[in-house]
Amino acid sequence: MNTKQTIAVIGATGNMGSNIAKNLSRGNNRVLLFGNEKEKAEAVLNDIKNSNSSADVEALECPADASWEADIIILAVPYQAEREIAEKIKEVANQKIVISIANPLNENYDGLVTAPDTSAAEQLQKLLPNSKVVKAFNTTFAADFATPVIDGKQADAFVAGNDEEAVNTVTELVKTAGFNPIVAGDLKVSRTLENMQLLLIQLGIKYNYNWLAGWKILHN
Amino acid sequence: MYEVFFQKFRDKVSLTKEEEGLIKQFLTPKKLRKKQYLLQDGDVCKHIAFVEKGALKAYTVDESGTEHIVQFALEGWTISDLYSFLTGEPATYNIDAVEDSELILISKAAHEELLQQLPKYETYIRLQITGAYIALQKRLTSIISLPLEERYKHFTTTYPDIAQRVPQHMIASYMGLTPETLSRIRSRIFSRK
Repeated sequence: MNTKQTIAVIGATGNMGSNIAKNLSRGNNRVLLFGNEKEKAEAVLNDIKNSNSSADVEALECPADASWEADIIILAVPYQAEREIAEKIKEVANQKIVISIANPLNENYDGLVTAPDTSAAEQLQKLLPNSKVVKAFNTTFAADFATPVIDGKQADAFVAGNDEEAVNTVTELVKTAGFNPIVAGDLKVSRTLENMQLLLIQLGIKYNYNWLAGWKILHN
Repeated sequence: MYEVFFQKFRDKVSLTKEEEGLIKQFLTPKKLRKKQYLLQDGDVCKHIAFVEKGALKAYTVDESGTEHIVQFALEGWTISDLYSFLTGEPATYNIDAVEDSELILISKAAHEELLQQLPKYETYIRLQITGAYIALQKRLTSIISLPLEERYKHFTTTYPDIAQRVPQHMIASYMGLTPETLSRIRSRIFSRK
């Protein structure tokens, strides 16, 4: 595609948000950063500009303004903050792709706070009924963005959503970010994807993967 | 955010609150800053854009890099590469913002859904396209039959807002003239006043 896409990263100052923003700014994308603390957003902006001076990146002070200008919105905020942000951006996110990266972990990292018959992504879809919610980047750790090839293998990254065109667009973003995209299915599959990350976190703590780990599907 | 859109809609077709709500579900609000692209040639045109605020232009670029503007769109107008939008073929036009703009986009899927669900939307689109067709006929007639000075006067009286808001070199491009030629025509007209 020749036309630049505008991507708003809401929660751009967090570990995940800043890394997603950095990797996506290497593609044909204009990236808008929003974080609760302006200074931190400016720091992320400077970091991206320092590593890539031609990056089209800007820090904005309002999540609704950033989402209004965007074609694609990435909610890189914790599960617990999704409701509040969804209310702020609901009107301007109408018909747009909204990427849910959240894993609804409990405080002890030994379970999910969501019921088994739903997921963070499906709950976000309920909050934003006219947006195209797509699950992505939830099984990748922040450190994986700097090192998407681990032990010689490119980490897989799973994409789930109900709108085919939206899923295709997000699949391209996953590629731009450096991962091997696998379309996992409709938005319901987010339940499995969110549980997969719960397992990976538990294994990471048990075997000390040092937050650099990922999933790889072996197949012929 | 949708004020001009629904005002223009109701100018053509009346709407109940419920119908307005239904249409709203399918609209994409989008901001575009000056000089940013909505569409570049070679890509498929995925939206019809309605200008809520600001100004856009659609144009081709020739081999020497010169822009040829086919259409401007100010508040209340729509703009797209209609052929690409309807066929899914790559666009031959570029569309970008002449001013900071607020748009309402209608995607192909939303467009088709609205056509099915709401006959009033079909009526609105028919009237919209009929209006655009007539404007295009008038523009073509002016180009092939009027002397340059008359063409310029015709343009400035038909579209006084565009003449005021858009830089002269873009108006020259829209009229198929070099900026120098347009400048000569303008000075001839103004010296007579």
